Amino acid sequence: MLPHVDASNDFFWNGAQEHKLVLLCCESCGHFVHLPRPVCSNCQSMKLSGKQLSGKATLYSYTVANKAFHPYYVDKIPYLIATVELVEQPDLMLQTNLVDVDEKDLKFDMELEVDFRPLGDSFLVPVFKPAGGAK
Amino acid sequence: MRKVAIAGVGYSGVGRNTGLSERHHAAQSALAALADSGISAKDVDGVATWGGDATDFAHMLGFGPQKWFLTVGVAPAFISPAMHAWMAVATGQADTVVAWRIMMQQPSSAAMASGSTGSMMAGMSDYHYNMAFGNFSPTVWAGLMMNRYMHETGATEEDFAKFAVIQRDYASRNPDALLRDPLTAEEYLAKPYINKPLRILDCDYPCDSGSAVIFTTEERARDLKQPVVLVETASHATIHNMNFETLPDMVRTSPVQAAENLWSHTSIKPSDVDTAQLYDGFSFITMNWLEALGLCEPLGAPEFVRNGGTTLNGKVPTNTDGGAINVGRRHGANFCIESVRQLRGQSTSQVKDAEVAVWANAVGPFAGAMLLTKG
Repeated sequence: MLPHVDASNDFFWNGAQEHKLVLLCCESCGHFVHLPRPVCSNCQSMKLSGKQLSGKATLYSYTVANKAFHPYYVDKIPYLIATVELVEQPDLMLQTNLVDVDEKDLKFDMELEVDFRPLGDSFLVPVFKPAGGAK
Repeated sequence: MRKVAIAGVGYSGVGRNTGLSERHHAAQSALAALADSGISAKDVDGVATWGGDATDFAHMLGFGPQKWFLTVGVAPAFISPAMHAWMAVATGQADTVVAWRIMMQQPSSAAMASGSTGSMMAGMSDYHYNMAFGNFSPTVWAGLMMNRYMHETGATEEDFAKFAVIQRDYASRNPDALLRDPLTAEEYLAKPYINKPLRILDCDYPCDSGSAVIFTTEERARDLKQPVVLVETASHATIHNMNFETLPDMVRTSPVQAAENLWSHTSIKPSDVDTAQLYDGFSFITMNWLEALGLCEPLGAPEFVRNGGTTLNGKVPTNTDGGAINVGRRHGANFCIESVRQLRGQSTSQVKDAEVAVWANAVGPFAGAMLLTKG
């Protein structure tokens, strides 16, 4: 359940422990690359490093997890899984969870902001909630 | 390039938890396809499979030395071994190729939730970016894609109910189908969500399956048992890595490019298609393909289905074997086999005078399609 943190992704997971949303960014052209890859898909540079984002996003799509496919989630269903588009770059999509919002209050393309919640006892993962605490 | 025909098709004893191995399903389906075609085992000189090992299957079946072989990795379902088999015969690398899709039933959500079995997606690249957000099943990306599709098209749950009812009606006449009992829209709507808006009857039916299709030259096919079915052309496309969840446009994905590629290789037009057999690993995928192939208007598939466009008397009878939601997860091969049966005049829901059939597989990151004609 907990991610395997290694050199290919530690900026993302370690960033989350410090309440920061960090993705891989090209040092040559500034293009964000997610999921992380050793080469920039925009300019083919192989110099990339972690860079913090604003945490602002819009809701592209969402689904309700109605069934548990893992023992950890048996007492947590239903929960919301979403694809959000981060404001820093068109088509920069992130898979995440939605929190502090009911399904019925969700609107496609609504504004969201990042938060960090524990998976298991204490490992923080980046999740999203309505911007400005709006319902 | 040589003109290629499909000379034989066959299934194994497809079913739920059959207790049979991949080799059993490969042998049964290949023997059924050989018998269907009238080709002898010694005449096969090429093999391609997704599921199991092509070299192992060729040796096991006594095909003798093979001129060409391929064991496919993760690919857009059966269109991958099928397209490669077509190209092997077209280029003269082999004369008679068996293409398989062998697929064993995957664990249920209940088994995964109990911790008694591993996850379906464990080991896949980038898996930790799914797992950490409670995503352990392809039904999650299907729920995401279906929800966005409904948002952009205005499709309703009743439209998907209608789709399920039409497919079950086809399946009710097909003895190969695993689900054949009549279905009502109310029954569809009463079924549980897996990943809302995705319901269980939007998903292909898990089973053990073996499907085999024999490709050979047109010249050779003319001397064989069955009416000749020709491959007009085929196409592939890939637009993204395997993370469906980060597709920037979940409504217009790789079927769009695969369809463009397909039509660019032929003078046949979408309006010439008599029947379409379009992947339904999840129901909305068929709608994506109807639109991508130009068989209905862009974003118009829900209305097309609502108005009966996919029924036997409709504009484009679609998934006339009942689709994988009912015949079971044969992972795209059933759409090839049903297309062949339609062009031979052997379908259990026969389209009158069918001369052109298109079949298509997969969605999202990658997809492919094949166009067949009556010989």
